[in-house]
Amino acid sequence: MKKSFGILGIFITVCLVAAIFGENFLTGYNLMNLTQRTALFSILALGAGIVIVTGGIDLSIGSVVCLAGITTPWLLVEHEWSPWLVLPTVLLGSALIGLFHGVLITKLRLQPFLVTLCGLLLYRGIARWMTGDQSQGFQGEFEGVRAIALTKFTIPGLENYRLPSTVIPVTALAVVLALFLSRTVWGRWLLATGRNESAARYSGVPTARLITLAYVACSFLAGFGGMLFIFDIGSAQPSDFGNFYELYAIAAAVLGGCSLRGGEASVFGIIVGAATLQVLRTAIILLGLSSQLEFAVIGSVLLVGVAADELIRRFNAQRLERASHAAIH
Amino acid sequence: MKNRILSLVSLSALVAAMATTHVFANGDLVADQKARIAALKDHPDTKPHLAFVSNGVADFWTIAKAGALAAGRELGCQVTVEFPGGGLGDQKRMLEDLVTKGIDGISVSPIDPTNQLEVMQLVAERSFLITNDSDAPSAPRLCYIGMDNYIAGRMCGELARAGLPQGGEVAIFIGRLEQDNAKRRRQGFIDGLLGRSSDPTRYDEPATVINEAGYTIVGTWTDSFDRAKAKANIEDVMIKHPKLALVTGLFEYNSTLAVEVFKQAGKTGKIKIAAFDEGADVLVGIRDGIVLGTVVQDPYGYGFESIKVLHAFNQGNMSMVPANGVLSIPARVIKKDNVDSFWADLKAKLKAGKEASAK
Repeated sequence: MKKSFGILGIFITVCLVAAIFGENFLTGYNLMNLTQRTALFSILALGAGIVIVTGGIDLSIGSVVCLAGITTPWLLVEHEWSPWLVLPTVLLGSALIGLFHGVLITKLRLQPFLVTLCGLLLYRGIARWMTGDQSQGFQGEFEGVRAIALTKFTIPGLENYRLPSTVIPVTALAVVLALFLSRTVWGRWLLATGRNESAARYSGVPTARLITLAYVACSFLAGFGGMLFIFDIGSAQPSDFGNFYELYAIAAAVLGGCSLRGGEASVFGIIVGAATLQVLRTAIILLGLSSQLEFAVIGSVLLVGVAADELIRRFNAQRLERASHAAIH
Repeated sequence: MKNRILSLVSLSALVAAMATTHVFANGDLVADQKARIAALKDHPDTKPHLAFVSNGVADFWTIAKAGALAAGRELGCQVTVEFPGGGLGDQKRMLEDLVTKGIDGISVSPIDPTNQLEVMQLVAERSFLITNDSDAPSAPRLCYIGMDNYIAGRMCGELARAGLPQGGEVAIFIGRLEQDNAKRRRQGFIDGLLGRSSDPTRYDEPATVINEAGYTIVGTWTDSFDRAKAKANIEDVMIKHPKLALVTGLFEYNSTLAVEVFKQAGKTGKIKIAAFDEGADVLVGIRDGIVLGTVVQDPYGYGFESIKVLHAFNQGNMSMVPANGVLSIPARVIKKDNVDSFWADLKAKLKAGKEASAK
């Protein structure tokens, strides 16, 4: 939780600025939209976080989002498969992609950056070839399946706000992941692998199996996220769907307290990181700023926030050091 | 010493080569292409290899591809169709590679005509250059095949004006504004909506709010083809402007997403949509009366005519190019009364395009 204070500070500040200076930020409709977008990107960010904990990286998240997202309507509409078959097939396929990454990284000892960079090209290429570069959509059908991402629940007392159904899988995933990391031996081993893989391996930790598991989880979540994205949007083009989503996922995870060196994670922080990115994007429109400034504003706010967080941490560490010196002498 | 002399000679050769590359002005290149076409009259190339290059990947271009390949079959020439999925850099690479291949003519929809002058000059130097869909008037192109995007934009603006005669708040959504057709389409929409006189050179800044003739154009939002972002843009603008009365999506998916967002927000029919292009949800929306109408182009015609014109150039014939260099294939407005017949024709062309892609 401590690791998340920095990003929580940025999140609260951005929300306050948007609420004070932006129009209608605190309306139920806007908060509902933000919850939905945060939930969708959080799924990807949680996957990215699991891999980052091991000291690895997954650059193929956006392309897996694309392949899984495009395959779903492609199988449902073009090939008329039953939804009961499509959903497990897509999820299993995504998990197999992760297994493929894990095996290449742990058995062939290839660098995660390279393996997943090749994956980034490979899966988008497959999606484009498979569909003949045609955009894929539900063509007004499959409302029942799309309800997985589009259902909104009324909350008593909150008239205009309705809770998107995507919050349920995200909450479940977050709780399971938080418990896994903090309460299970395997979770501890995963953190130990990220801190020092060699040390963990010599201590008897099955590091190869854990790293593979992390990549399987990441690709599975990217595939699941891709499915939810396409349910939400309705149609997508294989050449651009999910482009750069890995960067949003990685940014949310790192901002949320995952160290790129591995061994550190905060599930709560990852979700706040994902939410901050979404609130920033919306704030730019509600504050009436030019949309061309979007990336510049997001980059600047995050940089200032992260730098301030680091300075505060150093200041606190120095203060503690001084205090301990004073106690000794 | 010998090495130094060799280096000097190589450097001079390189500078000379660079100077020769840039010696052609656009006028010279147009004249040069015309002279080469005239020379081909006596020795026509009966089986030229021609290329059609889009500005991205979309169903629109699949239909254009079907047209280009159909023309190739009819005229007995080889046709290569390229869809750059990676933007400007990708399109440049494809054009350079086609020139390297020794292509006999290229029809391209330039993504950023102002900044792609060099690569288009390269094509004009080594092959024949024409543009389609989006023009590059400053490039040495021999003709432009497509509609006038300003006029098409005006048609969409007039459609919006007729659907919202009492005035109100209007928002514009578009993939990107760099390309010529996007700029002209947007300006045409604004001028058509506000009932202004026709002036394609007029330009309203995208960030400026326009209050005129009872309408308030609250802004123009781009998304760089990220559909999640495009959807979020519409949702956020609805929040910022609760009195929004009409939106227009000037790229195909922008209109499709407007239909989707209003459905999800329970605003179907409450905020009007003036659409562009032939997204399936937009056509269903027109049929159901929740979209005012859509302005459509003829991508099949763009593909077919491009290859026909380039083939004629290789026979030494330039007679089909009008004096103003614009071979117009006008846009059409699709409304409730003609949506069914249009859709049936579109499905047939898309099927042909998919079959052509599969081969």
